[in-house]
Amino acid sequence: MSGARSLKQLPWRRWSIALHRDIGYLAVALTLAYGISGVAVNHRADWNPSYRIAKQFVAIAPITATAVPEMVANAVMQLGLPTAPMNSYRPDPQTLQLFYRAKVYHVDLPTGKVMVESTVPRRVLYELNQLHLNGPKHAWTYIADLYAVALILLAITGLFVLKGRLGITGRGGWLTAAGTLIPLGYWFVYLRLG
Amino acid sequence: MRVTVRLTLSLAAVVVSTACAKKPAAPSAQVAVADSTAGTTGAVVAAAGPAVPASAKEYGKVLTLKETTAVSAILKDPRSYEGRRVLVQGPIVEVCAERGCWIRIGGDQEFEALRFKVQDGVIVFPLSAKGKTVLAEGVISVKNLTRAQAIAQAREVAKERGTLATFDSTKIAGPVTDIVLTGEGARVW
Repeated sequence: MSGARSLKQLPWRRWSIALHRDIGYLAVALTLAYGISGVAVNHRADWNPSYRIAKQFVAIAPITATAVPEMVANAVMQLGLPTAPMNSYRPDPQTLQLFYRAKVYHVDLPTGKVMVESTVPRRVLYELNQLHLNGPKHAWTYIADLYAVALILLAITGLFVLKGRLGITGRGGWLTAAGTLIPLGYWFVYLRLG
Repeated sequence: MRVTVRLTLSLAAVVVSTACAKKPAAPSAQVAVADSTAGTTGAVVAAAGPAVPASAKEYGKVLTLKETTAVSAILKDPRSYEGRRVLVQGPIVEVCAERGCWIRIGGDQEFEALRFKVQDGVIVFPLSAKGKTVLAEGVISVKNLTRAQAIAQAREVAKERGTLATFDSTKIAGPVTDIVLTGEGARVW
């Protein structure tokens, strides 16, 4: 009897609200980062969320040299490039690729047609995606774990912020059930149809 | 108010201390499973260590082999390398644009390349790695693909390249032998 009373006297709701509020503040930046990156990465079948890839075409004279070093020197000279490439590669007998930092020159040797492919990281999105996909590894793995725990705490403490009609015993309960049905329903339908 | 401040400070302290305490990834168990016979083949071409600059970036697990094997040797007789751990060096001529989960390593001979596949998300090669030189360690796998399987694989690669719209399955010949270096560690410079 006295145990039940002391449990009732515990200010657990105050603690829950305080946790919810402060974790919420701490998690704002990460939630925005993960949310924005999440949308971007979800659609990566349609676009590259981290890089902007631009293709340009230029024309030079056909290259008839048979030795690779001569081909490379000729292409570099004709394209007016200031330095030798980091690497070169021939994927097939009529193509020479010259690799520079963030740029690849695809030279069609018989025609002299050159495709210049530039790869530039998208501003902000690149960094957000790196964090979201745990590119840095190491310490970031644990920060992301902590963030995941913070989200779990936010979800649980969020259930008990309000009392009464709008709380978990009223409208909040219905909304929570509706939200639970989304993944459960999708999972069920996906399994049935898939 | 005091509760709020205390909570905020303790959470921040946990984040900072955990981040600072993180050590570099431990060496992998690859040491135990490395194929010591890889170093005895005639196709081993070079000691890898001295040629790598200090600025080289490590991806995934630590490399365990010291000597490289020529891509041309692997492609010439893939069955003799099947299941063996090898270290390959060459230019990165292509990077998976969608997930960064594979690279193609240019061979020592013209028109040759070997695909180095890593587990999705474990290593993510940035597109900026294209054109750089890589030392990649892994195990050679050889699969015979029917034409239908070759088309399905080529379609997947086209999707990852972002060229699915222009993908033409009639250009895919088959059956083909698919040779892949499956690995967990690489050094890029």
